[in-house]
Amino acid sequence: MFAQVLFSGLALGSIYGLVALGFAVVFKATDVFNFAQGMFAVCGAYFAVTAISALDLPFGLAILFMIAACATLGVLAHIFLIQPLAGRSMLAIIMVTIALSIVLRAGIEIFYGPQGRVLTTPLPSGVIRIGDLRISQLHLIAALTSWACMAIFGAFFRFTSVGLLMRATADGHEAALVSGVNVNAMNRLAWAIGAVLAGIGGLFLGQLQIVSPELEAIGLLALPAVVIGGMQSIPGAIIGGLLVGLIAQFAGSYISPKSTDIVIYGLLLLILMVRPWGLLGQRELGRV
Amino acid sequence: MTQNSFTRSNDRSLRPVALSVALTLAAGLTTFSAHAQESPADGVHADRVDWGILMDMSGPTASSQSVWVRGFQDYAAKVNEDGGINGRELNLLVEDNRFDAATDKIAFEKLVGQTPVIAISGMGSSVSQVALADTIKNGKVPVIGTYTPTKALSEPVSPMVYNGFCGYRQQAEAGVGYMVEKLGLENPKVMTVAIETAGGQEYAQFVADAVAKYNGTASSTTMKVTAADVTPQVQQIMSEEPDFITIYGIENTAILTMKTLAQYGLETPAFGITYLGTPSVYAALGAEAGANYNFISCFTPGGADDAEGNAELVAYAAEAGNADLSGNINYVAGWVAGQLAAQALEMAGENPTRESLVAALEGGFTVDSKGLAAPIVFTPEDHTGPQVLKMFSYDYDNSAFTADGDYADYEKYTKPAE
Repeated sequence: MFAQVLFSGLALGSIYGLVALGFAVVFKATDVFNFAQGMFAVCGAYFAVTAISALDLPFGLAILFMIAACATLGVLAHIFLIQPLAGRSMLAIIMVTIALSIVLRAGIEIFYGPQGRVLTTPLPSGVIRIGDLRISQLHLIAALTSWACMAIFGAFFRFTSVGLLMRATADGHEAALVSGVNVNAMNRLAWAIGAVLAGIGGLFLGQLQIVSPELEAIGLLALPAVVIGGMQSIPGAIIGGLLVGLIAQFAGSYISPKSTDIVIYGLLLLILMVRPWGLLGQRELGRV
Repeated sequence: MTQNSFTRSNDRSLRPVALSVALTLAAGLTTFSAHAQESPADGVHADRVDWGILMDMSGPTASSQSVWVRGFQDYAAKVNEDGGINGRELNLLVEDNRFDAATDKIAFEKLVGQTPVIAISGMGSSVSQVALADTIKNGKVPVIGTYTPTKALSEPVSPMVYNGFCGYRQQAEAGVGYMVEKLGLENPKVMTVAIETAGGQEYAQFVADAVAKYNGTASSTTMKVTAADVTPQVQQIMSEEPDFITIYGIENTAILTMKTLAQYGLETPAFGITYLGTPSVYAALGAEAGANYNFISCFTPGGADDAEGNAELVAYAAEAGNADLSGNINYVAGWVAGQLAAQALEMAGENPTRESLVAALEGGFTVDSKGLAAPIVFTPEDHTGPQVLKMFSYDYDNSAFTADGDYADYEKYTKPAE
C-alpha cells in the first residue's frame, strides 16, 4: 500500500508541479498571482479535445496545436488584461485573474456544454505490475513528461539568452528597461510559458480523468504548491507540487479522502506563519 | 290590489332601472365567468398553465440535470402540439439552481410568489430538498415529479410531494440483490463510492441495509462533486477488495472511478445509480472499463426496447433535434416526469388551481408511461413513484443499451417483506 500511494503521489505531484511551475514563472516575471492558472490547465485539455476529436489532427499535431493555442491565450491575457493594469494595486490584478477564470469557465460551458469530454490519445494505458505494486503506464508517462518539461524549461531559463533576459527582467524591471530589454515582450513570454505548462498539465489530467471545467480544482492545488515551495522559486514550485501530490495521496489513503484539503491547506497555513517565503524561497528584507 | 296597482305602477316606473341593472349584472357575470377560469396567483391563465422546474442548469451536476429538463420540455412541447391540457398550454418556467442551496431557495420562493406556478418539478439538489422539505410540505405549491428522491422530502408521505425518479432505497435493494445473485456471493463485501451530498449519505446507508440482508459487509468512501482525482478512493478499493462496488454521484463520478480502476488494472464489478446510465459515461469508459459497469434503472433508455412509449420518445426526440439524447436515461426520466405532470394537471380539471390539483391527486393515481418506465402507482399512503428497477449494460458493438431481464424479474428485490 505504501509503495502504491508513494508512486501515485509522485506521479500526480509531478503534474501539480508542472502547473505550479507555470504559476511561479508568471509570478516571478510579472508579480501577478494568477488565479486563472487552473482554468489555463482546463483550456489546455479542451484545446487537445478540439484538436483530436473535432479537427481530427494526428496526436503530434494536436499537441502542437494545443501548445500554440495555450501560448496565444497566455499572450492575449497579458496584452488585454494585465498590461493595461500596470502600476495598479495587486488586488485589482488579482480580481482580473479571478474574473478571467470565471469568464473562461462560462465560455467553455457555453461552447462545449456541461458534459465532460473524453480525451482519447494513443498513449499506453496499461498496467505494469511489480509484485503487489501496480504502476499505471499513463501515470508513469505523465510523470516522466512533466519532469522532461521541467528540465527543458529549466535549461531554457539557465542556458538560453532569452531565458537569461527573462530572469533579468524578473529580478528587476527598471534595470532591465534601462538595459534595453523589451520588458513587455518578456512578460508576454512568461505568460505564454505559464499557460503552456498549465495546458500540458491539463492534457495529462484530462487523459487520466475526464476533460471538464472541474479540472480547475487542480489549479487550486497549484496555489498551495507554490506557496509551500516558495513563490519566487522555480525549483520550489516543483518541490511544492510534489509535496502536495504526496500529501494528497497519503492523507486520502491513510486518513480519509475528505482530509486532503485539511492537511494541504493546514500545511499552507503553517508555512505562511513560520516561513512565509516558502521552503525554497528567499526571505525579502526591507529597509525600515 | 292597491298594493298591486302600486306595485304595478312602481314596476312600470322602475322598468328601465331594472333593465339596466339586469344588463349590468349580466355583463358583470359574463366578465366574472371569464375571469373565473384564470388564477394568475396560481400560475393559471386563460391560454396556459405555468409549471415550475427547479434544476441545476449550470454547475457540476448540469450535465445530467439539464438533460432531464430537455426531456421534460420535449414532452411538454409534444403535449402542446397535441392541443395542450384542457385547452391550455403547459408552459414551463425553468429556474437554474446552479448547485447552490441559497439560489435554490430564492428560485423556489420566486416560483411560489413572484412568477407563480401551479406546481414544481425537479428539485435536483438533495441538499436543497432537505433544507426546503418542511417549507414544501407545509406550503401550498405541490412538488410533482422530483428528480432527487430524498428521505427528508419523501417521508412521511405528504400530499404536497410526488416522486418522479427511482427511489434510492429501491436502487440499492435491486442493485445489490441483482449483483449478489449474479456473482453468486454468500457474504458479499460491498463498497459504496459516493459524492459528498445528503443523497450520497442516504444511498450509502440504503446499500448497507441491503447488504446486511445477505449477511454481508458494507463500507463507503466519498469524494467531492467536483473531484478531479479519485486515486485515494481507488487505493481504498484496492485495499479492501470488495466483491463489487456501487457508485452514487454525477457522470464524472462514475467515469473517474471506473477509469482509475482500469488504470490500475482492477476489474471490480460495479453498478451505478440511474443517473449514471448515460451513453457519454460508456463512451468515456471505453469497451474495456465499460464491460465491468452496469446501472440500475426504473426507466428504459430510448431504443433499448420496442415499447410504445419508447418508440414515441425516440421519434419525438429525433423530430426535436435531440436524437442524441434519447438514449440518455436522464432525458427519459425528464420525459416521464413530463407525463406525470401532464396527467396530474389533467386530473385537476378544466379550471385548475394549486388547491384543486392537490385535492385531485390525493386519492392516488397511476401514470401511464406506455412502457417507458416501471409501473408508477401513487396511493394515498405511498408517493414513492417508480419502485421496480432492472439492470442495464451497454452493448458497444451495437451502440445500444441492453437490459438483463424484465422489470417483473426484479420485483423480488424491492418487495417489502411480509
